[in-house]
Amino acid sequence: MTIELQRPVGDLIVVDDLERLSFRVDRRAYTDDDLAAQEMTRIFDRCWLYVGHESEVPGPGSYVARDVGGRPVVMARGSDGVIRVFANSCTHRGALICSQPAGQTRSFRCPYHDWTFSNQGELVGVPIPDGYGPGFRKADFGLAQHRSDSYRGFVFATFDPEQPRTLTEYLAGATEYLDLIDDQSEVGMEVIQGAQLHGARANWKLMMENSVDIYHFRALHKRYVSYMESLGSVPPRRRGGFGRALGLGHGANELPPAAARPLAYWTPMFGAEVRPRIEATAAKFVDRFGAERAERITGTNRALLIFPNLMIIDAIAITIRKIDPIGADQMAITSVALAPKDEDPDIRELRKSHYLTFLGPAGFATPDDIEIIESCQRGYLNRTVRYSDLSRGMNKEVPETTDELPAREFWRQWDRLMRGDDGHLEVAHRAEMQGAEPR
Amino acid sequence: MTIELTVDETAQVRLWHRVSQFLFREARLLDEWRLLEWYDEMLTDDIRYSVPATDVRGETAGALGLIDDDAARLRQRIEQLLNGEVWCENPRSRTNRMISNVEILTDRGTHLDVAANVIVYRFGHGRSDAYVGKCRFELVVEGESFRVRRRVVVLDHETLYEHGKLSIIL
Repeated sequence: MTIELQRPVGDLIVVDDLERLSFRVDRRAYTDDDLAAQEMTRIFDRCWLYVGHESEVPGPGSYVARDVGGRPVVMARGSDGVIRVFANSCTHRGALICSQPAGQTRSFRCPYHDWTFSNQGELVGVPIPDGYGPGFRKADFGLAQHRSDSYRGFVFATFDPEQPRTLTEYLAGATEYLDLIDDQSEVGMEVIQGAQLHGARANWKLMMENSVDIYHFRALHKRYVSYMESLGSVPPRRRGGFGRALGLGHGANELPPAAARPLAYWTPMFGAEVRPRIEATAAKFVDRFGAERAERITGTNRALLIFPNLMIIDAIAITIRKIDPIGADQMAITSVALAPKDEDPDIRELRKSHYLTFLGPAGFATPDDIEIIESCQRGYLNRTVRYSDLSRGMNKEVPETTDELPAREFWRQWDRLMRGDDGHLEVAHRAEMQGAEPR
Repeated sequence: MTIELTVDETAQVRLWHRVSQFLFREARLLDEWRLLEWYDEMLTDDIRYSVPATDVRGETAGALGLIDDDAARLRQRIEQLLNGEVWCENPRSRTNRMISNVEILTDRGTHLDVAANVIVYRFGHGRSDAYVGKCRFELVVEGESFRVRRRVVVLDHETLYEHGKLSIIL
């Protein structure tokens, strides 16, 4: 598929200079309305996009309705147990067939003319059917079903019927990290009820960059760090860890825990009472996976960016953060917590409590992230400063977490898709890849 | 014409007046950033301050919220706000809390359950936001005054897309 270039040849947004070890992004990428509109067709209409987690539709008939890539959809588990993603729009005249954010139903009834669809998408009821001729077949008016698939419980859909990759191919090296998350429970992970629905008056990509940027941590989040230290956490001064490009725009940081991990990494801040339980869990993981992989699952923090708009941050709690653009200078953020289904109730409380300490619109860290990216957006109003710089770590074979490799991987894929390239890996950039090629 | 109140009614009006005055003072201290005074003089040692998520609104047991502070974390929140560490509240935002619909739901002698509606206007960093919610207080009677033991603010917003964050104490 080729898309005509609308910018003149040579008018680069992403200026990637491997020779000079310089990576710059023209700030129009954050402010230009035309580019924002193009992102919807070139990126969000084509990529696999995160819809939700299987645990959000636990039984037959359960559903959630939400926006994905700017489109209202319903993720429903049919009476047959199969999860499907439908366009939330009546095939008759277009009204939303589901206006509840979540629930349980055998059928979806459009309130406009009472057209009724089964939870598997078939049109099952049309009032006053004699208004149609013999050519009218209900089978032609089932809900539009999007191509969807799941990987380790994470459900994605694509609006591009020609999307050449299966979900697993699309996820490329990110599957390794989804495995490390889903392996945290033998009976499965679940989304905890209660979504943090907030946003920022800034371009959506600023939140993606921020979410894989560890460089800012000690500067911007001093108050969080000092609070955690006051609780008896190991100060997050320990260096170590690394950033990775995982292919096709995905990236990750992997680093030693800054504080503790509710699954199986105890430090004094969790209190002596839960210590035996947490350490017993850690031992079980060693039995199940061997010492090395157990350490990686239970004793390592990670931030995973799945292109274009999903972040999964696995640290003192696990958050799934879905970031949706609203034009060039605003975004919606949906954050939920993910946890093992079989979690000990006391440890679940600890997890939630520590989640709130850091994360969400009223945590001790996220509000400062929101404010700073809004500040960047305001700074871009001064167009005299044309570029933002994301070069950190280009001089290293293994970039550290305080470098900007995952963000560069994001931008390279963004640039390929915006230029109409279908996103195959470019040889020139393999120098920055660490063995994570699409399968 | 004078209206004669029964002894019971007089006591109720007096109690309602005292509770209202207490809540108005709380709002004033918060608006004036006298947060330590508020913490020291108006809250119990086992205060719990919560703001449930806007989707499940605290009706679901075990749900994650937006804020669920015990005394220690609330104290920390206040210290951070006061010492300028909260980047997004430095310079301090200006706030104006409107408390209304104050209603004593139950009077258990030593404890009162009180409902009130609140609108908190916040101005700062070029933004203006309004937070609209329903408050539930558990007040512990202390002589002629009270202390807050449980403070829940259930926001009526469907989302905080517009606000982005909740960096003040509601």
